[in-house]
Amino acid sequence: MALAIARKDALAELRGRHAAVSTLFFAAVVLLLFGFALGPDAQLLADAAPGLLWLALVFAGVLAVNRLHLLETDDGALEQLALYPITRRAIYAGKAVGGFVVMLVLGLIVLSAVGILFAVDVVGALLPLLATVVLGAVGIAAVGTFYAGVTVRLRAREVMLPLLMLPVLAPLLLGAVKATAAALSGDPFGELGAWLQLLVAYDVVMLVAGAATYGYLLED
Amino acid sequence: MPQTIYVSPRSVGAHDTRPPAVVTTDLARLFAGSPALAGVSLQVTAGRTIALLGPNGAGKTTLMRILATAIRPSYGSAAVDGIDLGRDADRVRERVAYLSHATGLYDDLTARENLAFAATLLGTPDRDARVERALSDVGLLERSTDRVRDFSAGMRKRLALGRILLGGASLVLLDEPLAALDEDGMELIEALLGAWREVGVTVLIASHATERLDPFLDGRVVLERGLVADVSGDGVSSTPPTLPATARPAVVAR
Repeated sequence: MALAIARKDALAELRGRHAAVSTLFFAAVVLLLFGFALGPDAQLLADAAPGLLWLALVFAGVLAVNRLHLLETDDGALEQLALYPITRRAIYAGKAVGGFVVMLVLGLIVLSAVGILFAVDVVGALLPLLATVVLGAVGIAAVGTFYAGVTVRLRAREVMLPLLMLPVLAPLLLGAVKATAAALSGDPFGELGAWLQLLVAYDVVMLVAGAATYGYLLED
Repeated sequence: MPQTIYVSPRSVGAHDTRPPAVVTTDLARLFAGSPALAGVSLQVTAGRTIALLGPNGAGKTTLMRILATAIRPSYGSAAVDGIDLGRDADRVRERVAYLSHATGLYDDLTARENLAFAATLLGTPDRDARVERALSDVGLLERSTDRVRDFSAGMRKRLALGRILLGGASLVLLDEPLAALDEDGMELIEALLGAWREVGVTVLIASHATERLDPFLDGRVVLERGLVADVSGDGVSSTPPTLPATARPAVVAR
């Protein structure tokens, strides 16, 4: 059931390209603007690259999960979705899988862009970077799906979603930035594993909490 | 459109052994402090077609949305086929199909994709064949690969009716089913009502006026300001709210 919902989101997204175009464009703009703000110092840009990567992904993630939930505002679609004889956990899982796929694709593209724009060696630390991007994408999708469900019926959802979501994403941002920095620097202090473990724990907690509570958001 | 419409008889058993299709007791619902329903106690016999009549704001849609599990009552209880909505909403959802004012369709998917998605979530056996049949039954087979975004309001309603045909509901709730439909669409509704009656599906129709559907109706319930004002015909009965009128607002407001 969850996969059917995710497939439906993917199909609608491929047709409408709601999330992909806006989030990719937004992430690119964030990267470029931070790059301009920091100036031409190559070392400074390389040092800031992990932070810029994850700020761009977190900001773009807010947009992406919002757009995925906007699909459900088509002519009462969210209410209809809640009326099917399926568990609320399956609906949450379906929306979260859709969010994860969008975030993963976005993460891989932005990671490549950071490597090119800020001259950091992404290829040399590919495996730990991929692990960090996957874990970060899971966390953003888990949190974003829940809060997009909270705000989807609100008129001020574009304002409320980042206000609710970003503070909760702070531990993920910290862990992902530290893990990325450790991976890019060759992990001289052996801290990469600990930061990845923090991301795994964060993802598990957020997925369990989201699955347990998302159903209440569907009820009026 | 084929002569006979395929309706799954999955949830329907022998008439004399079935519990009442709908039982509500003192059902009330507040919106922003105002009661849209103020204590409705109804019993609907399984297999009957009943009209819910009344002016705007009478509580028809609110009653339907509670029975569909889209909203919870503020007070009172309701059961479908003997299953309490508050205790086991998941099982109730297996038995209820709801056509609301909004069609619940995805604009960027085609008619066929919308129904295939619904069939998957409804657990419809022989999915592709049933989707094909439902598209044919509602007269949209030729437009099945068009995106719903390009459909008229009447076509969207037909497609939403096709979605109902994919499930095995024993209770069908139709909120203003004739709105936005042309003559062919109205004939479709008549054919559906005939098919549902044949397999013993209970149908509640909320409407301002039901002259067109009179031949299909067993009973009528008139709602006014959230209360039952009149009941007539077969298959439906009502009892007055068990709470005294003076106590009702206080209870409803809790």
